[in-house]
Amino acid sequence: MMLSIKDLHASIDGKEILKGLNLDIKPGEVHAIMGPNGAGKSTLGYVLSGRDGYQADSGTAQFNGADLFDLEVEERAQAGLFLAFQYPVEIPGVSNMEFMKESVNAIREKRGDDPLSASDFLKKAKEACKQVDLPLAFLKRGVNEGFSGGEKKRNEIMQMILLEPKLCILDESDSGLDVDALQVVANGVNSQRDGKRSFIVVTHYQRLLDYIEPDYVHILADGKIVKSGDASLAKEVEKTGYAWLGAKAEEADA
Amino acid sequence: MSQWLADVIDRAGSVQDWLSPVRGEALATLQNQQWPGRRTEAWRYTSLHPFDALLAQPGSTSVQVDSREFAIEGLESLDLVFVNGELHTDIGSLSLPAGLSISALDQPTDNARSVAGQVFTQVKPERHLFGLVNDVLATSGVIIDIADGASVETPVRVINLVTDKVESHNRVLVRLGKQATATVIEHGSGDGASMNTAFAEYQLGYEARLEHYRFALHSADAIHIGGSHFQMGEKSRLNSTLVGYGSQLSRLDVDIHHAGEHAFAKFNNIYLLAENEHFDLHSTIEHAVPNGTTEENARGIVGDNAKAVFNGRIHIHPDAQKTLAELNNRNLLLSRRGQINTKPELEIYADDVQCAHGATVAEIDDEALYYMLSRGISRSQALVMLNFGFVQELIEQMPNKALRDWLQPKLKTRFEGMEVK
Repeated sequence: MMLSIKDLHASIDGKEILKGLNLDIKPGEVHAIMGPNGAGKSTLGYVLSGRDGYQADSGTAQFNGADLFDLEVEERAQAGLFLAFQYPVEIPGVSNMEFMKESVNAIREKRGDDPLSASDFLKKAKEACKQVDLPLAFLKRGVNEGFSGGEKKRNEIMQMILLEPKLCILDESDSGLDVDALQVVANGVNSQRDGKRSFIVVTHYQRLLDYIEPDYVHILADGKIVKSGDASLAKEVEKTGYAWLGAKAEEADA
Repeated sequence: MSQWLADVIDRAGSVQDWLSPVRGEALATLQNQQWPGRRTEAWRYTSLHPFDALLAQPGSTSVQVDSREFAIEGLESLDLVFVNGELHTDIGSLSLPAGLSISALDQPTDNARSVAGQVFTQVKPERHLFGLVNDVLATSGVIIDIADGASVETPVRVINLVTDKVESHNRVLVRLGKQATATVIEHGSGDGASMNTAFAEYQLGYEARLEHYRFALHSADAIHIGGSHFQMGEKSRLNSTLVGYGSQLSRLDVDIHHAGEHAFAKFNNIYLLAENEHFDLHSTIEHAVPNGTTEENARGIVGDNAKAVFNGRIHIHPDAQKTLAELNNRNLLLSRRGQINTKPELEIYADDVQCAHGATVAEIDDEALYYMLSRGISRSQALVMLNFGFVQELIEQMPNKALRDWLQPKLKTRFEGMEVK
């Protein structure tokens, strides 16, 4: 099992957001998590990645046999967990290149690999840049500094490609993208599907799933997975919306 | 009136040299000056309290210094070494490139005298108290003249070392003739409880180009007050970087006066203050004529109990149409007990100008830190990258590679020793 979440409860500022979530992901699988706003989709990504203020109250998450909640944020990343941010952060003064080189080498070090030389890294970075259709000049710019929304999302995918994680969590990587950018993001993700790497694709809309075909679709509402199925479940949601979830979810949506 | 100032005025009476007529005028002005206190706007955030318990004494204690201490790998420069005001370089033994002449302030050639006549107290006529102190007491220093059309490739470096408990005053006077090009480095270093003033005046002729650095790198107990003043001739270009740290009291005034049209001035400033240090930068940009451009960027990192003062004044005179002036000051506080007083000051009397200014103070950005951690970067490394990245940008803009390569690790090591609280 790549990831096994059991009865996960988490609250933010004293308010319970995740209320007993269970999820099992095997290597190579793509799981889509859909649901209305406020259902706890982004919270799940933050709790798994270890963001400050997003600690689990109870429940467990085993990641390749390790207790995920025992690890620091950076250790989770070093263990192969990757979160593509819904709102990637701008870091002026730190170049995209320096940032990614540090990340890649920190993770390589953990795996026991030698750090990449500047020229080897540059070569890889250039390829990844091309793959997500970002001009090479973006490597020299400050991390996400002055990038458009779409450029930031593509930069996330570029990092994912370079870091070669075991489990990728894509937090609304489709939001704010036009169809072309959506396709670039989806192609980037699909290029990384190698039968071993797993994905959690968090999205509000079904649209992204036209391009990244999931093995499983889960509906998250009011802090729990209320329904699971195959890709056809996403189509159903597309038609009917989330109204069928009942009053409770709508309240959360408000 | 402070005892120290009374002593200065007393001592000034016994300074007799070829500059005495000008020194006399400065002394007369100095005698009418008030000792700056909290109500003096220019000194509002910088207390002169350290002068009450001054350990430094004037005098020419002879000290042997290993010049290798100042060697910068890869930098081929013409070095003029002052130790406690004493010139340790035999200027006559330097092989100077064509068009460059250098004179000691106390042994001027005729040409140097004529340069001094144009530059000394002329580039910046309105000086504050310590500028006047330097006028009356600075007998050590150099006069540098770059002839019309001369392109001097080798940087000229004035090293000014002041040792523990010594008071010293140094002056640098530079004239760049028409279409002359040069690089000048003011490399100041104060040890222990030293006290020094160091002022420099630069006159840039028509289409002259000056690359300028000032390193004000002092010990935590030092007192350093100084300034670099520039008069920009028509179509002249200035690229200046000032880097400062240390000092229980450090105050620098940088003035750029656009006297000729179409001049371009770029001024970057970096300060990195460890625990209890105090750094005050006052910059004044005078656009007296049309079509001038100024780009100024000041960035600082302020540690625990340290204090930075930044006052950036841009004055655009009524005739100075088509001026482009940008001023930006960004600060990072490493501790809640650090303090930053930043004040952009714009006075604009022309209507067809572009002028932008900004000042920010930030603490460590938790979101950026989380983002870096989430990519596997260790916490300590992420903090260094985040915070140091902030000043690194300006280091990278320094045109001289040897200086960049020297300064980057020096500042990084210093930064890594500054604890985040």
